[in-house]
Amino acid sequence: MRATPLQTALLYAAVILTSAILVFPIYWLVITALSQPDQLRQLPPSFWPSEPRWGVFKKIFEERPILLWLGNSALAAIGAVTISMVVSVLAGYSLSRFRVRGGQSLGLFILTAKMLPATLLVIPLFGIFRTVGLIGSMWSIILAHATLIIPFTTWMLKGYFDTIPRELEQAAMVDGCSPLGALFRVILPVSAPGLAATALYGFVLSWSDYAYARTFLTNAQQNWTANLGITTMKGEYVSNWSDISAASILIALPVLLIYLFLERYLVGGLTAGSDK
Amino acid sequence: MAGKRLLDLARPSRQHWLGYLLLLPAVLLIGAIIVYPLFVSVDLSFQNVGIARLDLPRRPFTTDNYARLFASPDFWNACWVTLKLVVVVTTACFLLGLGTALLVNNRFRGRAIARLFVAMPWAVPEVIAVVIFAWLFDSSFGLFNWLLIKLGLIDQTIAWFSEPGPAFAAVATTMIWKGYPFVSIMTLAGLQSIPEDYYAAARVDGANAWQRLTNITLPSLMPVLGVTIVLVMLWIFRDFSIIYVLTGGGPLKATQTLSIMTYEQAFSFFKMGYASAIGIITLVICIIAAKLLMGRAPESL
Amino acid sequence: MASISIQNVRKSYGALEILKGFNLDVADGEFVVFVGPSGCGKSTMLKILAGLEPATSGMVKIGDRDVTDLAPGDRDIAMVFQNYALYPHLTVAQNMGFGLKMRGTPREQIAVRVAEAAKTLDVSHLLDRRPKQLSGGQRQRVALGRAIVREPQAFLMDEPLSNLDAKLRVTMRAEIAALHQRLGVTTIYVTHDQIEAMTMANRIVIMNNGLVQQIADPDTMFRKPANLFVAGFIGSPGMNFLRTSRHADGRFAVLGEMLALKVPESVDDVIVGLRPEHIEPGKGGLTFEIRPTLVEGLGSESYVYFDVPEVNHLAAAGGATDDGRPPGRIVARLMNAGPVRVGETLTVSVDPDRLHLFDPATGQAIPKEADRSW
Repeated sequence: MRATPLQTALLYAAVILTSAILVFPIYWLVITALSQPDQLRQLPPSFWPSEPRWGVFKKIFEERPILLWLGNSALAAIGAVTISMVVSVLAGYSLSRFRVRGGQSLGLFILTAKMLPATLLVIPLFGIFRTVGLIGSMWSIILAHATLIIPFTTWMLKGYFDTIPRELEQAAMVDGCSPLGALFRVILPVSAPGLAATALYGFVLSWSDYAYARTFLTNAQQNWTANLGITTMKGEYVSNWSDISAASILIALPVLLIYLFLERYLVGGLTAGSDK
Repeated sequence: MAGKRLLDLARPSRQHWLGYLLLLPAVLLIGAIIVYPLFVSVDLSFQNVGIARLDLPRRPFTTDNYARLFASPDFWNACWVTLKLVVVVTTACFLLGLGTALLVNNRFRGRAIARLFVAMPWAVPEVIAVVIFAWLFDSSFGLFNWLLIKLGLIDQTIAWFSEPGPAFAAVATTMIWKGYPFVSIMTLAGLQSIPEDYYAAARVDGANAWQRLTNITLPSLMPVLGVTIVLVMLWIFRDFSIIYVLTGGGPLKATQTLSIMTYEQAFSFFKMGYASAIGIITLVICIIAAKLLMGRAPESL
Repeated sequence: MASISIQNVRKSYGALEILKGFNLDVADGEFVVFVGPSGCGKSTMLKILAGLEPATSGMVKIGDRDVTDLAPGDRDIAMVFQNYALYPHLTVAQNMGFGLKMRGTPREQIAVRVAEAAKTLDVSHLLDRRPKQLSGGQRQRVALGRAIVREPQAFLMDEPLSNLDAKLRVTMRAEIAALHQRLGVTTIYVTHDQIEAMTMANRIVIMNNGLVQQIADPDTMFRKPANLFVAGFIGSPGMNFLRTSRHADGRFAVLGEMLALKVPESVDDVIVGLRPEHIEPGKGGLTFEIRPTLVEGLGSESYVYFDVPEVNHLAAAGGATDDGRPPGRIVARLMNAGPVRVGETLTVSVDPDRLHLFDPATGQAIPKEADRSW
């Protein structure tokens, strides 16, 4: 059934209009960053800066510890993702392949852990970290982020392992591998795309956190993450929207890039465990 | 590798041991950073504790926190705000997400790019979304005030973050923008799993576009949409960053949800026992809501 | 190469019994096929042989070694899987050499042996490709190559041809048989396809519901099925079954004729088995007239379906054929019968000596005069 030219035109108009409205806030962020501060205090606003102020990025790197914040965010994310992946790969594989007594309950508990409000868990974690002296340390958010990441990655990986035929590791075992050898020599190499997508999804979760960083790191400026840093910029007496927007772009960029590369894998992450 | 292995897990009778062994790290870590803290917070909620310290002796058992909670108008206000937010934002996310997904699921050139675009806000960290909307809602130079005046909808600028109604609207708008792409992505995935044959058969039977939507597309999407709605609601229920950074729960607690109240009691007023009680109640509500909506939840999440 | 001995192997998951006591001795170099419907336990038995699943009880020996609880990699066996199970991240050459590499074989030696096996299976030109770039038939060859390169004591094959299309399946069937002839390696082959079993096996093990039904060479399996299940399973189309009871004069009504069946005097009810290909056009030992309800012409032969008298209906006997024919309908496979039309009376006959007799109570075959021990 072929659409008439009118239908096609309407469809394109609808798609373009919808996309434009929904993506406009992101466009406005970029325009704000590139506008002169006094231009932002004019009405009517200008939707295209007369002369884009590219120097704003250099300026905020010089005036603000953006690089430190981004580095801290990256460190927290890499730490949390590493820990989570080690634990989740093993657990996800076990849940996918073995009928372990209590395994199913554990899987369900992990799934339910996705429902835990961060505002609830943050209180006992604060107490525990205070007792062992981790408040202000990067370890506090690495561990806290692991509580966010593990429920997702475990189920994502279980789902991915479920798609790999068991016969692969059976063949490997007949060929002389130990069960663990089959996992490391055959299953993990075969799962590389799934592992990468899962790890990046975990990275996004960690990178987006604000609650834990705000609670554990507020008094440790040298460990501020990007999200924590930017809120302090926003909270200043006179908000410099141009600078804040420029910093925001830098913070959002890694996640946006991951999104563009991994769009087709994300569904797996979002829906992990939902067909259970 | 064949031959002498100290612990030969490849033996048929021992192969299932590996299943337990592989779960061990997860059990230990989850025990330490999720189960134990959860236990601690239940424990805290039954004590009159200011700042949680585990190296001090436990305070006496009391149910005062819960008693105070249910007697507190702030708590009921927070419940009401949370409920309003859940209803408004879920409905809007659902309509917007479903609409965009159906739109870009049509066949046209550039569909791949359009799909990326309509779900783009998903990839913007919550705090950054707040920055964007805080500026859009700025009372003096924000774009929204200017636009609303231009359109003749208001006469003078609104101080969005100083008045309860507008503040709630600003929070809801930000959450909708951040939340609808999730519905789009899930719906698109659901749409892809509907066999093309169904539509071919419906066309043969003479069904028009609207009939195909209501008789094939929506019923086929129901399972996906069910899970999606629950996940969106849980997200709104538990969200902290957007509200806290945008309004801090104000003005006059107009945007103070249960999550914000929990955090504020714990870390602004340092009443961690009381805060834990609110958190536990929130969790219980989450689990019950999910169970009611899903029937077989939480297994289905 | 080695013999294989399976002694009273049982397997159960909780209350669910998958294997209810499996006994088999396989001679060195023999080609044994396990056949049966899905869920009969044949694949489970193969996995126990491979060491991929533990047996609940019983013993497995390969050669003189008790391998019951030995790791799969230590059993010196090779396995071919239905979905080939080629390692997607390795090239064909690496796939074939993987087992040798795991056993610490020097690299040069692996290369030589892989090249040799590749030549045998005609996949030398594919060695640098990845499994994804191969056709189904090529993958099957590589999977076979991965098995033979190790020169194991035994091959275990789990429905290796099921994923191939019909034509390729016939070709590969012949090729596997030829390979077995050449290498002479003891082979256990699992399939649900009785034609594969009949064409390839030295001996067939027919299984159903976790129980071995009969172990015999293909010819015996066809001529002397031990019970109703085997009789119905082997042959295409499957054997026809007719129910009949002893009349006052001691004879049995079969297809409208009264027959004196050679059964013990104590037996009053009998199920008569009649192979479709044993019904011949024209008069003969037991002649009867049929009115075809359906005729399928295959060129050289025709399948003629017709209904039998009510008394011969099998409904209550519980031994209905696999192909879902109604209880009163049987099929004849007629060669050179001339034109056969639906509804037109046709005279056919059966040699009464070719009838199979079964006890409806037990489903077991009633031995013929010559075989009887009493």
